[in-house]
Amino acid sequence: MAELEIEGLTLAFGGLRVLEGVSLAVDAGELFALIGPNGAGKTSIFNCISGLYRPQAGSIRFRGEEITGLPPPEIARRGIARTFQHGELFGAMSVIDNLMTGRHALMRGAPLAEALFLPSVRRAEIAHREAVERVIAFVELERFRHAPVGGLPFGLQKLCGFARALAMEPRFLLLDEPSAGLNRDEREDLARFLLRIRHELGVPMIWIEHDMQMVADLADRVHVLDYGRTIASGPPDRVLSDPAVIGAYLGTAPAAS
Amino acid sequence: MSKPLPHVSGCMRLSYGDEFRLFETRISRLAAFGFAVVLAMLPFVASPFVLDLATQVLLASIGALALMLLTGFAGQVSLGHAGLLAAGAFTTGILFREFALPFWVTVPAAGLVGGLLGLVFGLPSLRLRGLYLAVSTLALHFVVVYLGAEYETRRGFSTGILIDPPRLFGHEIYAPREWYFILLAAALAALWISFNLLRSRSGRAWRAIRANETVAAALGIRVARHKLYAFVITSAMTAVAGALFALYRGFVSIEAFSLYLSIQYVAMIIIGGMGSLAGALLGALFVTLFPYGIEATMAALPGAGRLAGDVFAVNQAAFGVVMILFLVFEPEGLMGIWRRVRDWFVLWPFRARLPGRG
Repeated sequence: MAELEIEGLTLAFGGLRVLEGVSLAVDAGELFALIGPNGAGKTSIFNCISGLYRPQAGSIRFRGEEITGLPPPEIARRGIARTFQHGELFGAMSVIDNLMTGRHALMRGAPLAEALFLPSVRRAEIAHREAVERVIAFVELERFRHAPVGGLPFGLQKLCGFARALAMEPRFLLLDEPSAGLNRDEREDLARFLLRIRHELGVPMIWIEHDMQMVADLADRVHVLDYGRTIASGPPDRVLSDPAVIGAYLGTAPAAS
Repeated sequence: MSKPLPHVSGCMRLSYGDEFRLFETRISRLAAFGFAVVLAMLPFVASPFVLDLATQVLLASIGALALMLLTGFAGQVSLGHAGLLAAGAFTTGILFREFALPFWVTVPAAGLVGGLLGLVFGLPSLRLRGLYLAVSTLALHFVVVYLGAEYETRRGFSTGILIDPPRLFGHEIYAPREWYFILLAAALAALWISFNLLRSRSGRAWRAIRANETVAAALGIRVARHKLYAFVITSAMTAVAGALFALYRGFVSIEAFSLYLSIQYVAMIIIGGMGSLAGALLGALFVTLFPYGIEATMAALPGAGRLAGDVFAVNQAAFGVVMILFLVFEPEGLMGIWRRVRDWFVLWPFRARLPGRG
């Protein structure tokens, strides 16, 4: 059974139809690339999955459970973590605090015990701090753990966003253009992290990406959107050479008349 | 809040627990000890006037810390602070006058009433933001002030409610020196609680909500619940400050809780520096002492006799000017100035700023 199944997803803002009957299914442990020109509706799919948008029609099922229409925190608590195109980190907070915030749903809430910082709170903070340190080591951000994220270069901020999603101990990852704005070295690091997640953690991912070389090299399957519709889906080598896909990206030559 | 490493060499953390130590270096322990000694000695060397100022600062600190948590960290604007102080003061006054209840009942009761008011008046924050939320919190102020005034006139306490000095462990608290220590303990407790909340799950959720509610929700934070926690906790703290104010003065009158008081509290957190607990304390110190400073300055001017009638007007005008100057030139407030001075010493002799600070 597929981990995440989307069927007939339709989203419109007034008269603007953003998604028109998109269906896809991501299997366990799969690195699933979602590509398409700007404005094709890729991020809108993420916003529907994480509950920020309410689709007009269609269903989203995670591990067999219908999650369409649930509020965003409840979806996150089911283990679906995401990153944002522009990072969206908490700039005034340190890397550690950003990642600890990612673990919010994994911690028990007890405001009164927290006000007194009872031993139970201290123990929990230490345990989660250790887990955060493992993520920091995974993405190699040790040098910056105490730095306010707002002061870090853009590439590192993106990496922090990725780390914050990992700190949530996700069962499913939604990565929104993790490589945008990264330089070549940072992209290579990112590719390495993606492969490590796939092989060591086995977390399935939907990965929005514009770097076609990375998609061709890493993705298990590729799904192509254009104007809110699916135009191709399948293994990378076949999809990326599909004339419809090339046409969507580069435009089709006018038919000779 | 995870603490950055201190600016000294040779300070190493050997366990994650070390990150929670309050004073990590010998110099910070020494400074804290020195400060504690000064605070403890103050009532024995200060004049009664200075001691009264110190107690006022301590009272204001509790309210300023609460408002800093709510506005400076959770990002929820409130103009209902005077209303909450009034609610705490009147709860204490009424419970004493009508039922002659002791300190240990009236003060927690004031906190409870404050928490309930916070819950009710926090509800609009689930829909409203910024200026609109501020206006909705004004309703809290006017409701409490109306109820307080009604009670005063109905019961015939038109000038206010008199409260006898409270008894603690069979001892009557009356001397200013005793009040100073009680309020010092209360202010330190408020600081400790605020600090603890900020370094644990709730504090991180509040800061995330202030930065971006949508992102906070996508991380699994139940935004509505944590906003209400912020309102309930800070309102309870503020109402306790109001109760202590009433007991210290021995007298409650609704006159003391004007809208201007709410604005003074907002001024404290802005002048002190948004998003910093130390800023709340500095702001409380500054705003409480400011009118006395203006008064003293005017008294020292030549022709002081002729100026005496204008002190009130000058005070208000100067307060407004100071607010504008801070908003324009130092949005980070007194804490921003302090950070710059500290960085200058840390980096000396190199003229540069620490990375990550504009």
